[in-house]
Amino acid sequence: MIGNDIVDLQVAKKESNWQRRGFLEKLFTGEEQELITSSNDPFQMVWLLWTMKESAWKAQQQKEKKRLYAPKKYRCSLFNKSRGQVLTDSEVYFTTSEVNAYAIHTLATTAPDIRTNFQYFEVQGSSCDSISTEVRSALLMAMASEMEVPADSLELRKDKDQIPQLYLNKELLNTAVSVSHHGDLAAFCFQEKD
Amino acid sequence: MIEKLKKIVKPYVQDQAAFEALTEETDFIKDLKINSANLVDVVLDVEDEFDITIDDSSMEKMLTVKAALEIVNEKLAQK
Repeated sequence: MIGNDIVDLQVAKKESNWQRRGFLEKLFTGEEQELITSSNDPFQMVWLLWTMKESAWKAQQQKEKKRLYAPKKYRCSLFNKSRGQVLTDSEVYFTTSEVNAYAIHTLATTAPDIRTNFQYFEVQGSSCDSISTEVRSALLMAMASEMEVPADSLELRKDKDQIPQLYLNKELLNTAVSVSHHGDLAAFCFQEKD
Repeated sequence: MIEKLKKIVKPYVQDQAAFEALTEETDFIKDLKINSANLVDVVLDVEDEFDITIDDSSMEKMLTVKAALEIVNEKLAQK
């Protein structure tokens, strides 16, 4: 299973105030708060850890249908700046993050060495709907070239739990897909299911 | 109470049409497209507005308007 999450740091700065009273306590475990407060860039650490939680949550949603808003049940630790893991009561997710001045993008998988295809890019659209269309078509193009099939033979549909599912010539494929967008940025990843 | 809640969630809503059509069944993330990182702001704003404390096990369930109203009522009753 895979999940990904992207945070547009400029937008995060505007839309969230991580220093707000209660914010860290409600979202992060004691150990994570320690990582944040001892970091030389606490803002970046907040969003790095958040993308780890969110991507693990999205990976979990691909098989677990129960939804809960329980960020502290996704316990993060970092091996280094770009590699980490997220522990839940039943699962370990391995994370790979890309961090730069504008964005943080994290990918979570259930095995450390699974080959995945992921990328992120700036979107042109401004409304939620147009961005979502843009991300989907970029994803389908990338998958089509990977699978060596025509792009129009692929289709992305959401199931009743809003999990994206990939179809080839109207047939459901055994491929896990995750898409994410935030602010001006969008990202996707896909992988053969394990 | 639902009006107070609407006022709280409004700044975080990304789908205005869904917000206009808000009912008890409305899902904060799936319908209103509230960013999951902003859902904690909804929780904190609800705490401030009603002067209650929402513990982790209540926050877990706060994904819909209905759940939020139930939690607020439950916490107010405990005061």
